[in-house]
Amino acid sequence: MNKSNQTGLIFFPAFDWAISPTHPEREERLLYTRDQIFEEGLMDLPEIKEYKPRLADFRDIARTHFCVPHIKDQVLEAHLIAAGSSLVIADALMAGEIKNGFALVRPPGHHAMKVVHGNRGFCNINNEAIMVDYLRSKYGLRKIAIIDTDVHHGDGTQDIYYHDPNVLFISFHQDGRTLFPGSGFTNETGGPTAFGRTLNIPLPPGTTDEGIHYILDNLILPVLKEFNPELIINSAGQDNHYTDPLANMNFSAQGYARLNEKLKPDIAVLEGGYAIETALPYINTGIILAMAGMDYSNVREPDYDQRMFTLSPDRKAKIEEMVSELLSVWERRDSIDLEVLRAKSEFSQRQKTIYYDTDGIMEHQTEKLKLCPECGGYLSISSQAVHHGLQCKVLCLSVPFHGCHTCKEAAWEKYEMAVNRKTYDYVYFQDRVSDTYKGFSSEKNTAWEE
Amino acid sequence: MLIGIDVGGTYTDAVLTDGKDIIRKFKTKTLHEEIMTSILNALDKVIQGEYESQIKRVVISTTLVTNIIAEKKYPPVALILLPGPGLSLDCYRYDTFTQIISGAIDYRGREITSPDESEIISAGSSIIEAGYQHVAVIGKFSNRNNAHEHFVKQIIEKKFPKLNIYMGHNISGLLNYPRRIATTMLHAAASHLFSTFCDNVSESLKKRNISAPAFILKADGGTIPLTAAAKVPVETIFSGPAASTLGAMCLSPKGQTSVVADIGGTTTDLSLILSGKPLIASKGADVEGFLTHVRSFAVRSVPLGGDSTVTVNNGKIDLLPERRGPAYCLGGPEPTPTDALKYLGRIEFGDMSRAVEAMENLASVTNSTPRETAQKIVFQSCQTIVNAIEQMFKNWEQEPAYRIWEIMQKNIIRPDNIVGVGGAAGGLIPDIAKMLNCNSIVPEHAEVANALGSAAAQPTLTVTLRIDTEQGSYTVLEDGSGGPVNKSTQFTKEDAVRLARDCLLDRAGELNMKEYLTNVEVVHCEMFNMVRGWTTTGKIFDVSIQTPQEILFYMDQGESFNE
Ligand SMILES: [Zn+2]
Ligand SMILES: [Zn+2]
Repeated sequence: MNKSNQTGLIFFPAFDWAISPTHPEREERLLYTRDQIFEEGLMDLPEIKEYKPRLADFRDIARTHFCVPHIKDQVLEAHLIAAGSSLVIADALMAGEIKNGFALVRPPGHHAMKVVHGNRGFCNINNEAIMVDYLRSKYGLRKIAIIDTDVHHGDGTQDIYYHDPNVLFISFHQDGRTLFPGSGFTNETGGPTAFGRTLNIPLPPGTTDEGIHYILDNLILPVLKEFNPELIINSAGQDNHYTDPLANMNFSAQGYARLNEKLKPDIAVLEGGYAIETALPYINTGIILAMAGMDYSNVREPDYDQRMFTLSPDRKAKIEEMVSELLSVWERRDSIDLEVLRAKSEFSQRQKTIYYDTDGIMEHQTEKLKLCPECGGYLSISSQAVHHGLQCKVLCLSVPFHGCHTCKEAAWEKYEMAVNRKTYDYVYFQDRVSDTYKGFSSEKNTAWEE
Repeated sequence: MLIGIDVGGTYTDAVLTDGKDIIRKFKTKTLHEEIMTSILNALDKVIQGEYESQIKRVVISTTLVTNIIAEKKYPPVALILLPGPGLSLDCYRYDTFTQIISGAIDYRGREITSPDESEIISAGSSIIEAGYQHVAVIGKFSNRNNAHEHFVKQIIEKKFPKLNIYMGHNISGLLNYPRRIATTMLHAAASHLFSTFCDNVSESLKKRNISAPAFILKADGGTIPLTAAAKVPVETIFSGPAASTLGAMCLSPKGQTSVVADIGGTTTDLSLILSGKPLIASKGADVEGFLTHVRSFAVRSVPLGGDSTVTVNNGKIDLLPERRGPAYCLGGPEPTPTDALKYLGRIEFGDMSRAVEAMENLASVTNSTPRETAQKIVFQSCQTIVNAIEQMFKNWEQEPAYRIWEIMQKNIIRPDNIVGVGGAAGGLIPDIAKMLNCNSIVPEHAEVANALGSAAAQPTLTVTLRIDTEQGSYTVLEDGSGGPVNKSTQFTKEDAVRLARDCLLDRAGELNMKEYLTNVEVVHCEMFNMVRGWTTTGKIFDVSIQTPQEILFYMDQGESFNE
């Protein structure tokens, strides 16, 4: 589709925004990265095309999320710009102006789930998911793969696509028993209509370049080849680095650069990474050069020593075992007989408890998926949480991108019923088929459309 | 009395003005090989031996350095580079003798690896062997720590006293190593010739009993005293477009947003004045293919001028981006936009019968009347320029931004005026103004706008500091100077601005500009808390202050508005 030979780059360090002055998500985070990539002169390279950020529309957010109570309550200008930057890269890619692109932006997004009551893991809205849904809505793309290379489990992205057979989500991360958010185990493999389209590789602490490249070569790349997506997105966290203060992995800038060279993502979006001095300047330079098809062999940390990055035998054995387990999940991805499940119930239901660590909010969710053989089914999520001391109960209805008429009608009926009965504080209706996003407040008795 | 002289590629013009009226003006062809003669001739023509004692200042804009670089008339410069880790070393291939040596500094100015004395000595001997006299030493992040560049210079100077050494951090402290290399190399190349030129100008002024201070115009529209200009030769490139923009500015209403179109023979140069401030390019100038750190006006050159060749392509009028001689009505070989303007009676000069002939010839192959043909040519010329103007505004709106406020603040702006200078301006500008829905200004004295712009330009000075209180040091980006600061987390933005003011004073002293420092403004002051673990261990400040960018006078144009 692309004739261009350039790599698109948006650098948005948000030098005037922080969660709080000493928080890891603060103004300083990309300062040294700026110094490094500007001093290298990367923006002048003929291989690089720099773009200006823009703001995402509220509609772009409503297409992916249910923000409680309103989008404006969850989203600041900084979030709109980080999400909007990803959309600029997406548009440039689709217009054929670039061969691939990197949104080097903050704040991050991969812990933001479908329903948003607050900030979790430094994220309010999910930049990659907003971009993926925008690409599907605007350009009619169908199959997209998201590879999450952040050290933390991409639980937000997983939640958003758990029932979507057209989005393959693979996350490798430090074992959830030793790190936030505590999820992402091998048995989280997607809902009944999207089995095997979510794959998680929880890695033992201390996993090195060798270990990560083993899963890339033996699991991720072969699965991607078979899934054959129209686009590959790298949810590009940088906290697997051996110096990251929040995690305990052993990955290097060279390892990250080579990963991007092999993965060949169409779009990479920055996620976490808080070794702002010892890792980020080097990893970002490495990723940009690798995506641009340039020689990155001279990019290295000041204390880089190649010997640090071989893998211990016990970790290696563990990783090999997981890879073969997940390959067998992938092999069986089409083995679920929906009719057998439908015979028991028309809906597949799960309960979730979600903790918003930054804001200290606890959310209780019941998610019901209509088991529709035609379109994968609509979702109905009832959720409650305490906001500023007040209990808030919401119902969210979501029609999938290729939702059938029956599902759309059924979801709309539920929405109207909830609006009429006023059993919830807020009711939301998200219809991706007609790109319509509605909401209703019982207290104020008002409806709106994004 | 003020004197402005602009030595351009084609014309040299000069004015003598009191800031309200033009007392005398002069315009002639530039003697390409004798720039000094061109300057002195122009000077003598406007003074005519009667105003010497009343002259308050002389400002010269010259293409000298541009010519030196374009025609490669400079002595060869060898490079010693300390790139350290990062971009592949293959990226540092230049068309000159280059030695890459070890030694590396990081983004905060901390040493990663030290340079090796024996490597430096062997680089020096091979440079001597290759027959070079000038050497530029540039290290990556030398703007954050210049110790390595000094170390190399010391050793080379001791071992090879014949070599002239130039250090990168003295030339530019802005981030971007490849641009620092290019700028330092060009500086080293032009330094000697330009310094001789400055001495000659001083000498000649003295001989004419002109004791007023003299200045050279820079690409960013500021001036620098002749006595200090030799320190920044590369900054004087592209002063021509700066001169014409400032000239147009002083011939149009103050504080408004205008497009300046300098319509020449083969090209039209466009620049923007946004709410009274000329737009500076967001990146340094491209000097003959070298990307540099030189600050210059944002100028867009459109390959269309009064002498562009007009042809017919498949029965349609086509404007070619080339000149095959003067306009047909001025004895040239091919029809041009100038002929169309002559036919329509919009310009005075030229032979009408030849203009008619040119239009009739074109009309016969385009199946239209000569008048329609002439109108079509004018319309297409204007359309080309209007498209370029729209694109220029769009590019300005699309410039990358790194802060939330920059993205939230930028509005869509359209011009109040279009100001035209150059031969064909009078014929085209009114139509362009209609298309842009703004005022048309074709000022009187437009033919000496460049000289007027030089006369109106003022000294400008900027300093940009990086202060790192954890390291306990600061550096001045403009000249690589620096010093210690208190290692205190109590350091405030006010302290940072105060330090910047002191540095501005020092630099003003260095450049003989102290008396022009009446008033300074803070361009930006950004503070970053350095947090390690969960405690604040220091602060980083990026602060930039400058003298305001103003011109000395505006000339009232009275009735020159067309609408
Ligand atoms: Zn992370
Ligand atoms: Zn359905």
